[in-house]
Amino acid sequence: MSLTPEGSPVVEAAAGIEHIDGLFSYALVLTRNRSEAEDLVQETYVRAIRAMGSLRTGSNVKGWLFTILRNVWFNQLRHRRTAKIVPMDGEENAMDIAETAKDPYAFYVSQVEHQQVREAIQQLPADFREVILLREFEELSYQEIATILDCPAGTVMSRLARARNKLRTSLSTAFKTSNFARKEVME
Amino acid sequence: MNTGDEHSYNISLYLDNELRDQELEDFRAHLADCADCKSQLEEEQALADLLHRSRPLYRASAELRARVVAAQQVSVSGHTPERLHGRVLRLLKQSRGASEFRAFPWRAVATIAFVFVLGMVFVPTIARHARAASYVDTALSTHRSYLDGKLPLEINSESPEEVTAWFAGKVPFDFRLPTSRLLASDQPAYQQVGARVVNYGDSYAALVSFAMKNDRISLLVASSKSAEAYGGEEIISRGLTFHYQTKAGFNVITWTTHGLTYALVSELHTSASRSCLVCHQNMADKGEFHEP
Repeated sequence: MSLTPEGSPVVEAAAGIEHIDGLFSYALVLTRNRSEAEDLVQETYVRAIRAMGSLRTGSNVKGWLFTILRNVWFNQLRHRRTAKIVPMDGEENAMDIAETAKDPYAFYVSQVEHQQVREAIQQLPADFREVILLREFEELSYQEIATILDCPAGTVMSRLARARNKLRTSLSTAFKTSNFARKEVME
Repeated sequence: MNTGDEHSYNISLYLDNELRDQELEDFRAHLADCADCKSQLEEEQALADLLHRSRPLYRASAELRARVVAAQQVSVSGHTPERLHGRVLRLLKQSRGASEFRAFPWRAVATIAFVFVLGMVFVPTIARHARAASYVDTALSTHRSYLDGKLPLEINSESPEEVTAWFAGKVPFDFRLPTSRLLASDQPAYQQVGARVVNYGDSYAALVSFAMKNDRISLLVASSKSAEAYGGEEIISRGLTFHYQTKAGFNVITWTTHGLTYALVSELHTSASRSCLVCHQNMADKGEFHEP
């Protein structure tokens, strides 16, 4: 997503689309529901393109998109009064491993590890899920996360530390499986 | 905060790239002498590595990408889906003068058919465009992460043969770099630096890095089942269609051949055709890509 020197939006076929995986992950971490997450991402992009006129040149577009997504979600929650937590429906479409994977075992190991990480993160409290996603997956700085969450950077840091402790415990099996499987693949 | 807490605090700051200047120097010096902190850092790093291997945590579907692109275009043009829906409903409800129209809503059916045909024509194109944009974005973000030092190479080698052998079994496709035909006296335009495996969607892609002085070029290779070359300025050469575009300060060329999709990312000040030398300098036609 970019701006002309005059500040008007340059309309591309998919403005800001490079952040769609991150936004979708954030939406899933917040909603824990695939259908709601998809609607939330779409709404975020629609609002973003409408509000692009207010975006200054050199602004942090990525952080801005994540802030919009979070605001839209919490507004929706306020209107509903209570959060409707629906178990997540099916995971992403399985790839045709047999067709494409030269080393199906290595591919399988990475998929298992990926699934364990997802489950461990989804089991965290909402505050922890958010900071882990924004830091470990989106590589945002403490200050950028603090701006999105509207809280002090110190709070971000303490939440991160507690979230990582919980993850380390719940992923201890994944560490073992991963180390074992990687050794096997190497051999 | 006691000393132990302070060190844990600094380990987190260090891993999260939040330490600067003197603090960073002080912590590195402490780390060199403190076995406990080293051990704790390794534990924290192992968790971070495990999480980073799972990037992206979830991947948006091609349908969602297409929806977003379509929604943005609708939003910009001011024609909302509700308006279109309303128009169709109005057509369905409006009274008709001619008797045959009273008997059967031909105009409404024709309108719906027209909208359906439009959808059949444009939705696959939008989805294709979204898949191609996603591949270009991945190539760009991978290149930037490599330049920023956040994506270290897993093999450092100037030998195409060695890198080709290294990728065997690590990526879910056969991938072979052109074998070097340079003579000892030849000065290569670009030196291969090394390579690594990167996540792409639910699978892996191969990243090969090249360098000359301060220029860096990345070649991202993925299966054409998951990656698409499409859009941008099309240049057809020797039966291949190359898609050229500039984005976020870089040249990007994408193309598909033999079941693989390639993305070549280079600096804007570098001639895009010159970047083709990363492969063609090893081929007989290398003279065609040198700048005059």
